[in-house]
Amino acid sequence: MRWKFIFLVFLQVALLVGIIAYRQYWVATGERILLRTAPVDPRDIFRGDYVSLRYDISTLDLDGLGAKGSFKPNERVYVLLEKTQEGVFSAVSLSRGLPSGKRFIQGRVEYERTLSKWEVTLRDDSDNLHELKPQWFENMKRGDRVTFCLDERGNALQFYKEEAAYRPKCGGQSLTGTIEQIKETKSRVLNVEYGIENYFVEEGKGRAVESSRNARQLRVEVSLRKDGKGIITGLFVDGRLVR
Amino acid sequence: MSLRKEDFSFLRNLEKEIDLWLKEGILLPDQKERILARYKEVKAAEEKAGPGKLITTLSILGSVLVGIGVILFVASNWSALPNWGRLFIVFSSMIASYGFGFYVRYEARNYPKVGASLILLGSLIFGAGMFLIAQIYHITVHYPNGPLLWGLFVLPLAYLLRFRSLISLAILVLLIWLGMEAHLQALHSSTLRATTLIPLFFMAGIVLWGIGLVHRERDRLRIMSGPYILIGTLVTFVAGYVLTFSLYGERFESDAIFIFYPGIGVLFLLAVIARCLPGKKEKGWIPETFGLVVLMIIIIFLSLFFPKASPTNARGDLRLFLNILFALEIVGLVVLGFIRRYPVYVNIGLLFFALDVIARYFDFFWELLPRSLFFILGGLLLLLGGILLERKRRKILSAFDIEEADG
Repeated sequence: MRWKFIFLVFLQVALLVGIIAYRQYWVATGERILLRTAPVDPRDIFRGDYVSLRYDISTLDLDGLGAKGSFKPNERVYVLLEKTQEGVFSAVSLSRGLPSGKRFIQGRVEYERTLSKWEVTLRDDSDNLHELKPQWFENMKRGDRVTFCLDERGNALQFYKEEAAYRPKCGGQSLTGTIEQIKETKSRVLNVEYGIENYFVEEGKGRAVESSRNARQLRVEVSLRKDGKGIITGLFVDGRLVR
Repeated sequence: MSLRKEDFSFLRNLEKEIDLWLKEGILLPDQKERILARYKEVKAAEEKAGPGKLITTLSILGSVLVGIGVILFVASNWSALPNWGRLFIVFSSMIASYGFGFYVRYEARNYPKVGASLILLGSLIFGAGMFLIAQIYHITVHYPNGPLLWGLFVLPLAYLLRFRSLISLAILVLLIWLGMEAHLQALHSSTLRATTLIPLFFMAGIVLWGIGLVHRERDRLRIMSGPYILIGTLVTFVAGYVLTFSLYGERFESDAIFIFYPGIGVLFLLAVIARCLPGKKEKGWIPETFGLVVLMIIIIFLSLFFPKASPTNARGDLRLFLNILFALEIVGLVVLGFIRRYPVYVNIGLLFFALDVIARYFDFFWELLPRSLFFILGGLLLLLGGILLERKRRKILSAFDIEEADG
């Protein structure tokens, strides 16, 4: 009885030690790279004691990377990375099979979607032409009269048709005119998960990390295994290591 | 002589019986004293032991509190502690509570109940340690693996020591794993509905129930059967109860959870085969096993074939069918409990009977009756139902001639 008990407890300890050793080996032997984080939808913000992270490489432009065919959810993909001038790594291509020799990270497809980008040419009442890039611009056609709400840099925040029943209030400037031209470019976008999307912090510390994440000053150091699996080894805010 | 739990209850029953014999003139007073003197040791041990349930409850509560305390201490001193410091706390407290618990229960034998609770504490810290390690290394890939490993590694310990607390912990943790894993699988599927998980847990409940019955028929495993049967019947009946409501506009199938079916099917088949092997049998084991098999087949059918095939009018029929099925389940459980003198079945059956009556009253009569009459009738019905149930329950339990807390 005693020895069986000790053996079973030993198995539990061995499991924990095994997990630690495996991860520690990975941290020690993997290749370290820096990734730039992307802002997260504020609804999915700080939960309990970890920060949700998204990266520039979490959303991949499939056409830009020259990837063919469609991707199924949960499919394994490898993203080839290259160092940029800022010292962070960004995606250069995408493959389904294990790439040879180069630096890459392994991830799983969340989902593929089509993303539209709009360029709208607007002729205002004094006959000047304006180029605007709203986030979305559906159910509109040439000749419609539209008012855009703009931020201080002149980016379109929202818009409404002249005859619309609901007219949002523009906080800053606004621009009214007739639509001259609408250009919609569709691109295929792939959302990928790498298993490095959560960073656990001490209770209460999450907000600070999060605001720098949303201001894009956050860099995440990741250790890459040979098969491209990543593990977070550090978090840098303004070049300073956070623990 | 080494004392067992049964000795205490035997003595209690014996004292009651002797008083009866005395009254009926079968025994003389000095004979009573002589008989009781034979069990002096048991009596003394029981008096010394004090109220056993209270000690168990207190020390289990204590273990849980200490477990939470350790986790909170590590969590709130996150930055002050280096990684090895956190790990040291986890490993040392885990090994200490396992070791000390084992010592006082089995070696020194002076605090068996506290010892059992300390071993439970060790298992809780083991689970906490797994999550702590996941945090230290920011492991997010496939987080349900945490509860899975926790449950699987506690299970052998539970069987070695034959602790109900450990087996309950393992079952609950594994059920949590099932929910998390199914949720994660379903995230990658477009047909995710909350209803999809109901058949899955229904099946899991039946499997636990079946495994519990197999344990119950084997003397060496009998003590472990309680948690399996209790949790299994509860999960089965909660799932069955949910299916009596109007949710047949939803889907029950999802290719995301098919992956669980083979495992559940194999476990269930093994349980059924083990139950059918020759050996000691309980009363009513054939209808019970048959009932579980029928339930399993219906649920598998529901989760595989129903959603795509059904036209709207079939859904109403299906709801009616599952309501009748649920009522049959309740009747079956209470009858089984009665013939087998098993209060857990009776209590669970009556509980879900009451819940079912309340739910159907709201379903069917809310629209039909004027509001005031609805409430008055409802109130009266509940009161009457309460009285009837209470009387019936007392009658059944007293027919068993055992205390309610046992079983």
